[in-house]
Amino acid sequence: MPEKDNHPSTNESFISADKTIDVEEIMAAIKKRIQEKKDSGVLRQTEIDEIEDMELLPLPDFLEIPNVYEPHLYPEHKADDFHPYHIEPEEEHGLVKKILSKIRRLLLPLLRFMLRPFVSDLKNLVVELHNTNKQDVHNLKQTVPITFQSKEYIKLLHNAINNMIVESSKLKIEEELLKTRIKVMEDKIAFLEERERAIEKKLFAETGKAGKK
Amino acid sequence: MNIHQFLTSYSYGDAIGNEVLEIRNFLRARGYESEIFAHWYHPKYADQINNYREYDGYSDKDNIILYHFSIGSPVTRKFLQVPDKKVIIYHNITPHHFFLDYHRVLAKDCYKGRVELKNLAGKVDMGLGDSHYNEQELKDAGFTHTGVLPLVMNFEKFEEPVVPVLKELFDDGKSNIIYVGRIIPNKMVEDVIKSFHLYQKHFNANSRLFIVGEYRGFERYLSALHHLVGELGVKDVHFTGHVPEDELISYFKLAHLYLHMSEHEGFCAPVPESFYLNIPVIAFNAGAVKETMNNGGLLVNRKDFLHIAGLMDRVLTDPELEEKILASQQKALQKYYKNKTGNILLEYIKKMGEKES
Repeated sequence: MPEKDNHPSTNESFISADKTIDVEEIMAAIKKRIQEKKDSGVLRQTEIDEIEDMELLPLPDFLEIPNVYEPHLYPEHKADDFHPYHIEPEEEHGLVKKILSKIRRLLLPLLRFMLRPFVSDLKNLVVELHNTNKQDVHNLKQTVPITFQSKEYIKLLHNAINNMIVESSKLKIEEELLKTRIKVMEDKIAFLEERERAIEKKLFAETGKAGKK
Repeated sequence: MNIHQFLTSYSYGDAIGNEVLEIRNFLRARGYESEIFAHWYHPKYADQINNYREYDGYSDKDNIILYHFSIGSPVTRKFLQVPDKKVIIYHNITPHHFFLDYHRVLAKDCYKGRVELKNLAGKVDMGLGDSHYNEQELKDAGFTHTGVLPLVMNFEKFEEPVVPVLKELFDDGKSNIIYVGRIIPNKMVEDVIKSFHLYQKHFNANSRLFIVGEYRGFERYLSALHHLVGELGVKDVHFTGHVPEDELISYFKLAHLYLHMSEHEGFCAPVPESFYLNIPVIAFNAGAVKETMNNGGLLVNRKDFLHIAGLMDRVLTDPELEEKILASQQKALQKYYKNKTGNILLEYIKKMGEKES
């Protein structure tokens, strides 16, 4: 909404005029007339409010279209490498960190004692999981190689979709502008038709007068 | 001593274009050599306007250049380069934010214009505003020698009769409301439409609205206005586009009320023109409008469309009130007569000469 330019304060009366004009009387008459219309139900306050609030909806600028969509479509697919599940490790800071490390240090001997029977099992489990993971990745690469290329395809698709949206938006604007032009031309044609009739009328009236003479 | 004029764009029929021509004719009639130099102008006027780059052949330190300043342009650089005495006639620059949604290039030029205005301060011999409002902006920008030169108005052109065909078409008993001016966002044409809609719907169905003015470059604004007209279901709204002078005069003469809702005006020429033609004026109080109205017509201080519609009805149905308004407008008009403005300009020029000696 543009800022107002040197507008009068709201305390000022609704109309300003020469002192010969009684603005109070005019306002009283207008208010009375409006109230009558409201009382008779012809005029509803909601209608007035709707009109007051109605804003113009300009079509976007052609040059602005790519900038409108780019921020929404690109960011995730713009970077060459993206890590959707990258989680920042939570770190404690300051006093909390110190207290926690002290507690950990105190509990460490107890923890070691408790876990001793399972240490070798745990080590084996970690190795096994690691190998399985490697094997799985290898198998996946063998069986569905397309999965690893899909990132590029998605990027490409996003580019294509973005361009399509941009171009179709431009077409939509062009269509709206053409509609306005048609409307203007229709008005002009209607005006010219009326004008033509008026000219004919004038012409016949003039020739009629000349004929009588 | 020759007195030449610079301006960025000469458009036939607009207030600045008219003033430039009037000043040139006035100065020539008083024996001064006077030419017009512009950046943009229609080839049709090539016999009257020169390209500003050709000014070097005319330049002389004793000459005076009157630069009609209303937008940022390369003309400013030329104006500052030549050794001639310099006077800027400031017609105000529309704040750029009005154009951001509709015309980025114009928004940029308006922004640049305000920057250039600050740069001009201290580099010109005199700054004249066509209203006190504009003079104040010059002072705020740092100009020290300032004054007011009311826009030169040529009311003689209104002596032409109404185009018979337009009279046949629109002089039919309907109440004709008129807005004259470019179809650009700061003029708030949408508010004219809203007020007219309420007037037509609740006070006088037998009415029509003329929106007379150029919309080239603002097709998207025009499109939004058409959309609004459709949404509100207003009937009999005529967007005439740019019309020749005889038709403009005819539209004025066929109108019963002039309605202006602009939110930024450095002067507002259609107001004194309506005063001259005895058309009652209702205008919104923004920018220099109050000063231009000079206590004539009715100045609306708030945009309450229903009350504006009520006011329109009151003016058009109460002959006594209409008479009082017209009397106030005639009184207000006195300061705009051409010879007076021309003489004010000559006074300023004389003052400059005295200052030099």
